[in-house]
Parts: sequence; structure tokens; C-alpha cells
Amino acid sequence: MTAGRVLYAGLRLLDRQMLDRDGVPCGNVDDLELTPGADGDALYVTAIHAGPGALLYRMGRRRLGAWLQWAHDRLAPEGEEISTIPFQHVRDLGGSHVTLGLGRKDLATFSQERWVRDHIIGPIPGSQHEAE
Amino acid sequence: MKKFIAITLGILTAIGGFVDIGDLVANAETGARFKLSLAWVVLVGVLGIIVYAEMAGRVAAMSKRPVFDLVRERLGPGFGFANLAASFFINFLTLTAEIAGVAIAISLVSSVNYLLLLPVTGFLVWLVIWRMPFEWMERIFGLMGLALLVFAVTVWKIGPDWNHIFHQALHPAVPSKETPFTYAYFGIALFGAAMTPYEVFFFSSGGVEEKWTKSDLNLNRANVFVGFPLGAFLSLAIMLGATLVLAPRHISVDSLSQVALPTAFEVGKVGLAVLILGIFAATFGAALETAMSAGYIVAQFFGWTWGKFTKARHAARFHLVVLMSIVAGVLFGLSGVDPIKVTEYSIVLSAAALPLTYFPILVIANDRDYMGDEVNGPIVNGLATIYLIIILLIAVATIPLMIITKAGA
Repeated sequence: MTAGRVLYAGLRLLDRQMLDRDGVPCGNVDDLELTPGADGDALYVTAIHAGPGALLYRMGRRRLGAWLQWAHDRLAPEGEEISTIPFQHVRDLGGSHVTLGLGRKDLATFSQERWVRDHIIGPIPGSQHEAE
Repeated sequence: MKKFIAITLGILTAIGGFVDIGDLVANAETGARFKLSLAWVVLVGVLGIIVYAEMAGRVAAMSKRPVFDLVRERLGPGFGFANLAASFFINFLTLTAEIAGVAIAISLVSSVNYLLLLPVTGFLVWLVIWRMPFEWMERIFGLMGLALLVFAVTVWKIGPDWNHIFHQALHPAVPSKETPFTYAYFGIALFGAAMTPYEVFFFSSGGVEEKWTKSDLNLNRANVFVGFPLGAFLSLAIMLGATLVLAPRHISVDSLSQVALPTAFEVGKVGLAVLILGIFAATFGAALETAMSAGYIVAQFFGWTWGKFTKARHAARFHLVVLMSIVAGVLFGLSGVDPIKVTEYSIVLSAAALPLTYFPILVIANDRDYMGDEVNGPIVNGLATIYLIIILLIAVATIPLMIITKAGA
């Protein structure tokens, strides 16, 4: 991968809206994981970081961000609600979104949504209906 | 008829944006104090919001992305978050003022103190967002807001000398009792009121919610070219009514009921009833706009599911932000703050925060990756750049002017 394509990732990948396999918004690309290739001088995008703490970590709040990510991963059941999304799950970068091959409920970005849904918004009468 | 119904998004956005409680008061106050010497600012402001709202709607149709989504992507998380915090705060002030405005409108007919009506009003605003379909919301409050055309009837009833009026409006000068600083301060307030960012937050999110595509670009233009000029027309009618009725009697405007005086004098009881209905609709519409904008901008910044076109439980965090904002707005209103002061601060402060919202729209509207062939042409880019420079100058000047004039006193 050339330097030009790394720049492309910064402009065209970071902070983009992610859609899950059903086309539903499921968080933004908060951070990217870069791994050196076998030849040692090129960097490859190997994963997307998204979920509690990931954006804070990227914005320089390293300790708080890392702690939030660690706490979330400890609380989530093994292998579920991942905050590191391996790049092979990215299905499409076309249009103006990053489309994943995963369901939104498998992602760490969903944990707060689930809590708010189950404890606050879900119990209010009418939450099952579409206002449309 | 169907075509007409289709532009209610633009009408609601513009009525909520141009003749909400802030503008009702700002326009009447300016008319009473400065006569027509600031009328030109309304025209400059409406052209600016037309240019940027059209762009935001076009971006929404072509890229399916609303404004705040783009703010984070183009400004980065640091500046993006600063913009989110500032916009959220200003939007919250406006929401508080609008809820109070609805309560005041109801209290004018019910003689119940508006503070007692605040919780009920807040609940109604929430209920409409929770249950009423988006299209019905647009239609009911957009069309009911047209009752404000009674301001134009007021001016027509007075039957002013139009030659004199045009002469006055075309030769603006600082009135002898005012300083250049207060003149500039009220000019910024009018400009800020015309270009309030929540208009583009709401308009572009509404476009995405209604699933606009390339084939809706004409609809976008129709919404913008009908809605915003209508809003500006109403603003000018309010200002003119105040110039003709309030200024000669040296009445200054510091409450919503004084805004209604010219109509009550000239058109009578029926006119006043229609006007109160219009004020109710416009402030209620603006309360909906700002409450939903609070949810829109937070959800879009963090990439959550948002919007009214999905079941509420599937956009739980979006609805939580909307609900909390309304509750906080009601509580803030109940603390006894003067709603007119809150709204004046909110429009002046929004002038200071404008560049961070409008700059990313301009950048994206020129990006072929998002826009395909529908990128800005040279005329739009020229106008948009001029406005961006104006906005930047205003953003720098706002806070010092606020201090020098003691907020326009």
C-alpha cells in the first residue's frame, strides 16, 4: 500500500458513518488499527475501532479511553459486542458510508443503545409503533 | 395540491426559523427602535440561508447524509465536538425560549400564568415528536403558521405611503437615539436569526428522513425558494407594522404581547385571534424543530440510529436526547428566566457559532465523491464564499459587540 492510499483512509474512512448488514446506522469509524506489512515499511488498515472509549483514545484521552474499552470488553460476553472490527468484515466502502457484514447488535457501539432501549425508551407506551 | 403539500418541510423550517419567538420579538423591537433602517439585513440574511439550505438539502439528497454527520467528518472529532457542544447549548436556549413562547401564546387566551403551562407545553411537544407522523407535523404546524400572514394584513390595513417606506428602507441610517454599536448589534441579531443553524440541521435531517434522492432536487429547491422568502416576508411585515404603529408612539418591545399590538390596533379582535393562533403554531413548530435538532446533532455526531421514521425503540438514544432536552428546557423555563432575554442571547450567540456549521456544508457540496454531477456551480460557490466571509467577520465581532452594548440595551 502506498502513502497516498493511507491518506485516503484518513479522509475517506475515519469518522464515517457505519451501516450494519441491514443498512442501519451503527456508530462511526472512531479509530483505525494500522499494522506493518511483512516487508516492514508499509502500514495496512487491519481493523476499525468503534464503541465506548475508542474516540476518547484517538482524541488523546489515552488512559480514560483505554480503560473504558477494557471495562466494556470485560463486561461483554466472550466474542460478542466487539469494539475492534477486523477489516475483513467491511463489505463496502462505496457511497458515503462504511457498510459492514455484521449485525449492529454484535458491536460494542450497541451496548448503550441496548441499555437505553431496555430501561428508558422501551417501557414508554408507544415505543413499538412507528411514528411514520 | 400534492405539490403544495410536498413543500411543507420548507414552510415549517422557515416559519420555525424566521418567525419563531426570537424573530417575532427581534423584528418588532428593531422596527420600534430602528424603523426600517435594518430591513436590508433581513434580505441579506434570507439570501444566505437560501444558498446554504439549498446546499444542505442537495447534499442530503445526493449523499443521504445530514449536516452534523458531515461536520464531524470534515472538521475532525476535536473541532466537530466543539461545534456540537456550542450548537447543542445554543439550540437548548432556543428550545427553552420556544417552549416558553408556546406557553405565553396559550396564556394570552387562557389568562393562566405561562409558568404553570410550561410542563403541559413540554409534554405536548414531546408527545407530538413521539407519536405524530413527520409529514403531519410539517403540514399541521407549517400551514397553521401561515396564520401569521395577518401581519401582512395589518400593514395593508394601515395603508402606508409606500414611496416613503421604500425610500426609508433603501437609505438606511443609524437613528439619532441609537449608537453605531447598537445598530450593528441588532443587525447581527437579525442576521443570526435568519441563518440560525438549527434550520439546516432540521431541514437536511428532514430531507434524509423523507428519503430524498436525486429526483427530489427540484423539490428541495421548491422548499427553499418558497419557504425562506415567505419567512423573510413575514419578518419584514412584523418590522413594518412595528415601525408604523409602535415607533410613533414610542412603545418599546419587551414582551410577546407587544408584538401583537399593531395587529390588535389595526385589525381588531379577529385579527388578534388569528395572530395568536399563528404565534402558537410558529413557536410550537420551532420547539419541535429545536427539540428534534438536539437529538439529530448528537446522534449524527456519534453515528447512532436517529429519526422519526423508525420505531422509537430502535432509535432509543436519539429519543432519550430529545426527551432530556425538553425536560431540561421546561425546568430552565420554570426557573423564571426571561424567555425574551434567552431568545435574544441564543440568536446572537448562534451568529458566533455559524462558521463551524456552514463551512463543512460548502466543502462537501464541492466534493464529487459525494455529489456526483450535482456539485456547486460557480455562482453558488461565489455567493457561498462571500457569505462565509461575512459569517466569519460576524463571528469575530459578536462577543465584543455584546459586551460594548450590554446586549443591545
